Amino acid sequence: MDGLLARSAEELFTRHAASEAVRAIRAGGSPAALWGEIEASGFLDALVPEAAGGADLGPAEALPVIMAAGRFAVPLPVAETMLARAILAAAGEAAPEGAIALAEPAGEGTARLPPGQHADWALLPLEGRALLLPVAEGREDAEAGSPLGRVLRWPGNAGRPVPAADHDAAGAWAEVAVMAGAMERILEDTVRHARERQQFGRPVAAFQAVQQQVSVMTEDVFAARTAAQLASVADGEGVAGLNQARVAAAKLRVGEAAVRVAAIAHGVQGAMGITEEVDLHLLTARLQLGRMRFGGEARWAAWLGRRFLESGSAETLPFVRTHLAPIATETAP
Amino acid sequence: MIGALPLAAIPPEDEALRPAIRDFLREAVASIPPERRARSWMGFDEDFSRKLAARGWLGLTFPKEYGGAGRGPFARYVLVEELLAAGAPVSAHWIADRQSGPLIQRFGTEAQRQFYLPRICRGEAFFCIGMSEPNSGSDLASVATRAVREGGGWRLNGAKIWTTNAHRSHYMIALVRTSGAAADRHKGLSQVIVDLRAPGVTINPIRDLSGDAHFSEVVFEDVLLPEDALVGEEGSGWAQVNAELAFERSGPERVLSSAVLLDGWAAWLREAGATEAAEILLGRLLAHLAVLRAMSIAVTGRLVEGESPVVEAALVKDLGTEFEQLIPTLVADALASSARPAPGPLMRTLAYTAAMAPSFSLRGGTREILRGMIARGMGLR
Repeated sequence: MDGLLARSAEELFTRHAASEAVRAIRAGGSPAALWGEIEASGFLDALVPEAAGGADLGPAEALPVIMAAGRFAVPLPVAETMLARAILAAAGEAAPEGAIALAEPAGEGTARLPPGQHADWALLPLEGRALLLPVAEGREDAEAGSPLGRVLRWPGNAGRPVPAADHDAAGAWAEVAVMAGAMERILEDTVRHARERQQFGRPVAAFQAVQQQVSVMTEDVFAARTAAQLASVADGEGVAGLNQARVAAAKLRVGEAAVRVAAIAHGVQGAMGITEEVDLHLLTARLQLGRMRFGGEARWAAWLGRRFLESGSAETLPFVRTHLAPIATETAP
Repeated sequence: MIGALPLAAIPPEDEALRPAIRDFLREAVASIPPERRARSWMGFDEDFSRKLAARGWLGLTFPKEYGGAGRGPFARYVLVEELLAAGAPVSAHWIADRQSGPLIQRFGTEAQRQFYLPRICRGEAFFCIGMSEPNSGSDLASVATRAVREGGGWRLNGAKIWTTNAHRSHYMIALVRTSGAAADRHKGLSQVIVDLRAPGVTINPIRDLSGDAHFSEVVFEDVLLPEDALVGEEGSGWAQVNAELAFERSGPERVLSSAVLLDGWAAWLREAGATEAAEILLGRLLAHLAVLRAMSIAVTGRLVEGESPVVEAALVKDLGTEFEQLIPTLVADALASSARPAPGPLMRTLAYTAAMAPSFSLRGGTREILRGMIARGMGLR
């Protein structure tokens, strides 16, 4: 991705979100330095209207920044804070300082949050409204938690009520963007490994079996990126103009791509890719987490299938042209 | 590395063609049963092609002075997308309109343009492409059919095979060796136009597994070609063929080959009711269709800008044909697992599409060849 935003995001993360920094935050270290840089960059107000002090950009313009965060497996809710600030601004509410995660409901007063990521706040949808909850005051339910989700519980009167938004589509879009970025990086690393690693007296990239696998991976990465672009066309009613049909198509296509991309990357990178030392697991774990958050492939597929059956389109092409058409987006300046 | 392509959109002036095409197709294909419409761009109907010609829809991208409409690739994209989605029988003019005409326009002489292009636009000149030979399939550079200079023209000997529509076309553009030997590979190959009525041309149709005969073996025995049979430069055949293929790997025909089956199944679901499993499958196929279409349009957008995104086109074709093959596989499972028996026309559509699906990733460059190109694009070879 070219464009000024993409380049400055790439530079920021190259400088401040190197592997060691990412690993330290994942292990519970302070995210203050990295978060400070992200906050200072202004990215977090990208989706906030100008009148509310934001950059008034759309999802398509924010996409390269979020993909860059995905490329670096940044363990902070960059996209989610952007979306939460947009939600709050649209409701005329002030956003709290710090990182805001979009949480998934997991029972009364209970939220599921991404593990290995730092957040100061959880924005939790709740029966037609939402609660902004301080993460530090939540009680962790270790028994219900897993590497795929931390489960936090708050007392009944905790949190600040805010108006509801299309939380699921927003969260799914954020995952789609992060995953598309993570897959780009996985592809680059896998190609590099295949060209460097020698077996039978030549680079493993010289073997047709490996070439075919990497080609399949390239196709899926390309499709995932296109799906993310398609989901970022802001012609819907959701947060920042997100369109639920587009997000549905992208979440399931990107989820499918993630499965193949992770499997091939691990196959090509062999035992080295299974080690703690190599970064691959940071990225594939992020893909796995992304697949699990805000609805899996089947849920969004069923939603889209039902939407078609309820629509007036007799055939599939008119439906796709009407609801899922590419709309040219200018490359970010 | 293969960079990102920006999303592109079909310009409004090209979208404006769509309603008239849809109106025309609603009547023109209404009486064709779905199992015949499922033949997609293998469905041959000369009269239908001439009806399109009468509306100015053949040679849409050819310059006006040669009988075309002087439109851009996106106008043709809209036309082709609607034709294929409806399962219109486009095969008669398909190759001339898509490939041979543009090739002649680009590399041909003025006399060749003036002779062939208006005939293509009128639906009077159908073309086939002679590439594969009995011993040259994916290894196309090994072609052995040879044209030797003789007098003012050429003497042609050899054989082509798997040539779509050879037995019902007027002309073939053949890739032949004009100098050197098979070991010289890409060097010494040229493209020649062969009038298929010429003495010494024998065409033997080959029946395919569905019972149709859409392709043939073509044998050349001392066929005399005139001097101006040569298209483009002598010895540039390989480069010309590749330019031709690159343009045609990422169009709607690499996504919509199973569209008639998909729509037939979707219509039946609406009528008979859908289980959740069917809804999931339908949604999945819609998502794939949307993403592939966006990719295909993005590649067309680069072509319009004058770029030649060869690797991206190969990538769209491989993914697109995989999708086209996924449809009969998964719809078969859905129908076989359904409690309600599906109607005959839908089952016949499925039978045809499922039987022919393996060809989707053979024609125009096999899956393995395409993946080799992608690997090269990624710096692996």
